[in-house]
Amino acid sequence: MTQNMPRPTSFGKDPGLQVRMTLTLFLLGAVYVVLVVAMLAAGVNGVTVAVIAGGLALFNLFGSDKLALRAMGAREVTPAEAPELHAMIERLCIQADLPKPKVAVADTRMPNAFALGRSPKNATVCATTGIMEILTPAELEGVMAHELTHVANRDVLVMTLASFFATIAAYIVQFGFFFGGGGSDDDDNPSVMVLFLVSLAVYVVSFFLMQALSRYREFAADRGAALITGRPSALASALQRISSGMHQIPQKDLRAASELQAFYIFPPGAGKSLANIFATHPPMEKRIAALERLEMQLQGTAR
Amino acid sequence: MGLFEILTGKRKIKGPAPDRLFAMSTAAVTLEMTLQLHSAGKAAIVFQPLATADFESIVTDMEEVLRGTGDDTGTQVERTDDSFGYRWMVLSDPDFEDLVVGVNVVSQALQDGGYGERILCAVFAFRDAQKRKVYWIYNYKRGAYYPFVPAGGEQRRDTERELRLKAQIGNELPIEAELDRWFPLWGIPI
Repeated sequence: MTQNMPRPTSFGKDPGLQVRMTLTLFLLGAVYVVLVVAMLAAGVNGVTVAVIAGGLALFNLFGSDKLALRAMGAREVTPAEAPELHAMIERLCIQADLPKPKVAVADTRMPNAFALGRSPKNATVCATTGIMEILTPAELEGVMAHELTHVANRDVLVMTLASFFATIAAYIVQFGFFFGGGGSDDDDNPSVMVLFLVSLAVYVVSFFLMQALSRYREFAADRGAALITGRPSALASALQRISSGMHQIPQKDLRAASELQAFYIFPPGAGKSLANIFATHPPMEKRIAALERLEMQLQGTAR
Repeated sequence: MGLFEILTGKRKIKGPAPDRLFAMSTAAVTLEMTLQLHSAGKAAIVFQPLATADFESIVTDMEEVLRGTGDDTGTQVERTDDSFGYRWMVLSDPDFEDLVVGVNVVSQALQDGGYGERILCAVFAFRDAQKRKVYWIYNYKRGAYYPFVPAGGEQRRDTERELRLKAQIGNELPIEAELDRWFPLWGIPI
């Protein structure tokens, strides 16, 4: 499986995007497995397959940033174009002792932010125009600190490696069938179909494991953001604001808002969130609860 | 950053490295004598104020200490909060040595209170012969200085001048080696 998706902090109800990304991730992995199985079935030797698998992982680490940015409709901005955002990130970088990442902005009303890049030196953080509009500076700072923590924690690298090992695991199972059970007997060699099913099963399990890993790292990033900014409640407030659907309420004056949405009584696109196990992110309530605990520790009122 | 920290995603924020702050005391003489950079009589230390009772009391106590010693040394203290939510303790004193000591008093007080990692940086203001602003910024996390020369206009800096300053000051200051960590600070109030 590959991890060439950006690391989203898909705050809020963003079901369409979430479904697409989950599906993409899943399909990517499935295609990967099919590819590997097909190659093995066709008699390509194992080393070649391992090299190709490693090559794909390397591509993800080194080449996917620009693709991902483009897929998200984001572009890098200069300090002159987004002075406030740049200055905010610069201060957070001093505080977090990080080199400054590239800064990108995606022009969409959906409030979101994400980080890309295998290492702090090759990182990009991106915010949407929507999130910059609805959050206060302190809340936005919390969100950007969350993204910078993803960068500092090397989450892209960790997830890519984790998925690479999942691929290798799927592999070993396949080889087990090839050389372990069957031996030299011609009769009981498993069919390509069985191979395919097994590797797919391994893949499905590792998929859910990776989603769980991702959720854990989201908690870690929340915590890191609170540490960097010293304001857990600001991030909690940001999460709250985005999740409570306040993003549906335009901040612009009605007269200034030219979009048709401003006239809807029930804003379009409010949907249900996905089941827990599919989620890359912990439920919003749990994240906010964790941040509240941090704030209590800070205030010295934690029990 | 250790492997364990990467795998568990638990990264600690660095505390301050105050020891190399004092390099500025001697370097200021060189700046004045050979580079015609005069102290503007002001320095500042920037930190994130936490909205907790404990933190507030530490800051208040520290300000009182500064005012108390200020009666002897002539150092004046002012506090301002900027639009990013950071607090600037601005010290004014014609005696440069007292500025460095004052900055250290603030960082020491925060560190003793257990809030060392809240400190962003210290800023020393200079003016060149043409009265243009030149700043030396001390990054506490890195324990290193770098020059910052705003070039007028919206968020423009005179990088050439900064690089020249780095070469001119030589070994007298611990200079931040990575140029991409020469973070600008816009809207410095001194």
